[in-house]
Amino acid sequence: MTRLGGTRLVTLGLLLAAGVGLWQALRLDSWGFDGPGPGFFPQLMAGLCVALAIVVLVAPGRGGETEAGDTEEAASAPETNRSFAIYVVALGVLAVGATYAGFAVTVIAVTVLIMRFAERRSWLASLVYGVACAVAGLVCFGWLLRVDLPEGAIERQFYMLVR
Amino acid sequence: MEGLLGGFATTLSLDNLFYCFVGVLLGTVVGILPGLGPLTTIAILLPITFKMDVTSAIIMLSGIYYGVAYGGTVTSVLMRIPGEASSVVTCLDGYEMARKGRAGAALGIAGIGSFFAGTVGVIGISFLSPPLAELVLKFGPAEYAMLMLAGLSMVTYMSNGSLPRALLMAAFGLLLGTIGADPLNMTPRLTFGIMALGDGVNLVPLAIGLFGISEVLFMARQKAEDMKVLPPPSRLLGFLPSREEARRSVGPIWRGTVMGFLVGLLPGGGAVLASFLSYGMERKLSKHPEEFGKGAVEGLAGPESANNAGTAGAFVPLLCMGIPANAVTALLLGAFIIHGVTPGPMILERQPEVFWGVVASMYIGNVMLLILNLPMIGLFVRILDIPRAYLTPMILAVCLIGVYSSNGNPADMVIAIVFGFVGYALRRFGFDLGIVILAYVLGPIFERSVRQALAISDGDPTIFFHSTLSTSFAIVAALLLIAGLWPKRLGSQP
Repeated sequence: MTRLGGTRLVTLGLLLAAGVGLWQALRLDSWGFDGPGPGFFPQLMAGLCVALAIVVLVAPGRGGETEAGDTEEAASAPETNRSFAIYVVALGVLAVGATYAGFAVTVIAVTVLIMRFAERRSWLASLVYGVACAVAGLVCFGWLLRVDLPEGAIERQFYMLVR
Repeated sequence: MEGLLGGFATTLSLDNLFYCFVGVLLGTVVGILPGLGPLTTIAILLPITFKMDVTSAIIMLSGIYYGVAYGGTVTSVLMRIPGEASSVVTCLDGYEMARKGRAGAALGIAGIGSFFAGTVGVIGISFLSPPLAELVLKFGPAEYAMLMLAGLSMVTYMSNGSLPRALLMAAFGLLLGTIGADPLNMTPRLTFGIMALGDGVNLVPLAIGLFGISEVLFMARQKAEDMKVLPPPSRLLGFLPSREEARRSVGPIWRGTVMGFLVGLLPGGGAVLASFLSYGMERKLSKHPEEFGKGAVEGLAGPESANNAGTAGAFVPLLCMGIPANAVTALLLGAFIIHGVTPGPMILERQPEVFWGVVASMYIGNVMLLILNLPMIGLFVRILDIPRAYLTPMILAVCLIGVYSSNGNPADMVIAIVFGFVGYALRRFGFDLGIVILAYVLGPIFERSVRQALAISDGDPTIFFHSTLSTSFAIVAALLLIAGLWPKRLGSQP
């Protein structure tokens, strides 16, 4: 995808989001007996967003600097695309795991997915590093810093042992 | 003076010294790692500070912010890779000095200049903040609204993309800030009936998504490149500049410090702009402008001092007016609010220990940075050897901890991932994400001021032009927006 085409696609997404926001905001009161109502500001901002998105769609203008290393050549390489797709899957695993599997299982699964399949490290290295990350997170954050972590069977057992 | 001494007493407690050290150490490490900037790090670590005392939390997060400016110098000088944006200019002459065998002197000048500028900047904060806070107390809602409008205009003007794009990002950020309960009467807005959006889009999943997860997606697309690191000196004496280099550095360090601090005070200013402006100024003032880009000492000393002074200067509007100068200070503002402290003119009366504690920690943090940076540069450079395969799972694990611990709500992880993709798409096509987070944090305060002003005036919008102050802010905002349409932009000079 060219930079210009991508810019327009992203702007179109913003236009859609702002349009939906405007549609919702218009259902709120814009003015009440004591002054501007709850809909006043969202209507103003969503309207502005729609107008500006249209301007950018018509004349995309100059973008900011390209991110370091994010060259078209690198982005279009099949290996990069494959590894990017695996990272996307890993994010999906992260979202589902946070809800159902608990911290340790999620971190191990995400680490193995990334290291073994995206970065082509050995099974052993991936598993060992995944377990190390999970243990470090549980000990440092869950136990010592008492930070809330997504809880599964492993976390419950661990907390029973140490707390 | 009494307040500052009290601040030192607060900072010199063992806990706060430890958090200050952790902050500056993390800042240095993050500054060295290309890609991971202060925004990402503060976003990720913000929830971990929730169980800390507010002063300790802000001391640590501030330490990260000003520590990054030091760390970024190392990779700029030794590898020609800016660890973060404010070190871009350092690459030009710092790396050339290193290639000529003066890596130690370059790092020494940068370290000493940074220390001097950081310290003078903190002295500036100490003396400028109290009178400024008194002035701000006289502001009504109309003045506040117009000040914020001027601030947002300044930030969009300074953005590195076109003006309509920057304005679109500001409007998008402000719109995101309206999701959830109305700040004045708690009516749910733009929630689409989704329970998770009832309290709005929280700062932590938004920031972690936009900066942390999008960063991981960027890393996934980058090619691992062979990085060539020029060797730093192995002895401490190797960092000392020659007599001639020291003589040539004095003027640029002073000028960079003063100019950087003043630029830092401006909304949209801060370290990046300060370093670029300083480079331009030194090149204009130099008797040998042809040396710039080929290892000119002035081209290194000025910008390095300016970016540290700019970082310090950005704390003045944050602490005294509650107005962040850039995206990083916007996150710090979010951290203050989450901890129940509202920065602004009243902070000096209501929570002086927080204000002066943070200021005093910056003095101490600067000393720690100097001690940390010069002898340990060789060790820090080794961080760059960590392969992506090990870095990305670690970042994702910390993102998960950060997002989940902020509310204990797994739905926040989904929100963070959605914003991760949004952030990736926006960054990939040159939209400035910093403006989104800044507008998002300012949005509720801006909205409250606008609505209060209109309620007072019974809907008459001319209330925004009744006082000289608010009219001046409105004129500044208008001028900046008009100037933004001009093709040559301030931030793209060198």
